[in-house]
Amino acid sequence: MGLVARVIEESGIATMLVSTGRDLTELVRPPRSLFANFPMGNPFGPPNDPDFQRRVLRTALELTAKIDQPGQIVDLADEWPADFSDKVETALLAM
Amino acid sequence: MEPVRYVDLLNQRYQQQGFPEYQWTINEDSALAPLTKPLAECRISMLTSGGVSHCTLEEWDPYARNDFRLDTVEASSPGQDFQVSDSYYDTDDAVEDVNCVFPIDRLRELDEDGTIGSVAPRLWSGFMGRIYKRTEVRDVQAPALARELHDDDVDLFLLVPA
Repeated sequence: MGLVARVIEESGIATMLVSTGRDLTELVRPPRSLFANFPMGNPFGPPNDPDFQRRVLRTALELTAKIDQPGQIVDLADEWPADFSDKVETALLAM
Repeated sequence: MEPVRYVDLLNQRYQQQGFPEYQWTINEDSALAPLTKPLAECRISMLTSGGVSHCTLEEWDPYARNDFRLDTVEASSPGQDFQVSDSYYDTDDAVEDVNCVFPIDRLRELDEDGTIGSVAPRLWSGFMGRIYKRTEVRDVQAPALARELHDDDVDLFLLVPA
């Protein structure tokens, strides 16, 4: 997806990528990214929490105009309520 | 908690499965196309790679490899009309509420309250995990999508990998 973002940006359209994998995003360097330290299935937060989801979405969209360094990654301040490292390993083992 | 080290975990997983060492793409720089108008005047489109499909279409193959299927999604579709099928992440929350990975209802709300100019008529679902043909993405598939976005006069494109 980072590669897709790069191509779309090169065509002249501004892009913003919402990432849950900071190290992956650092490698691919999409033009602009917001990193949410959330589980991979929850970049916009928990289910059935429209206010939270809308806030993350708005943050991502508003960042687009503010980022002036190509490849910049901004960290979302919110923290996920629980450690989800185990959940990630379980999901990876199933793939 | 510290961010998960996906690169290390995936390297281990691929090694366990007997795959050759994965060659990660490393980019040092990138293009930057500045936004030329305020957000309140921007037309926005969005792409998810999270195995999201409208309930009238086939589900995504959760174990797909090099799948270049790309669905157009009508921006007016309610979030409850989508199904999610992907083995690459825990989809429980996304199945319950697709806005966790594809905030289609939220995007329309930001249109209604004037935060953004408009939602483009077409949103997108595709470029699912395990695409190894990077040249095909860079030279064919992504440029084709860029043309569609230009046809829809998109000012800002949001990408949500999963």
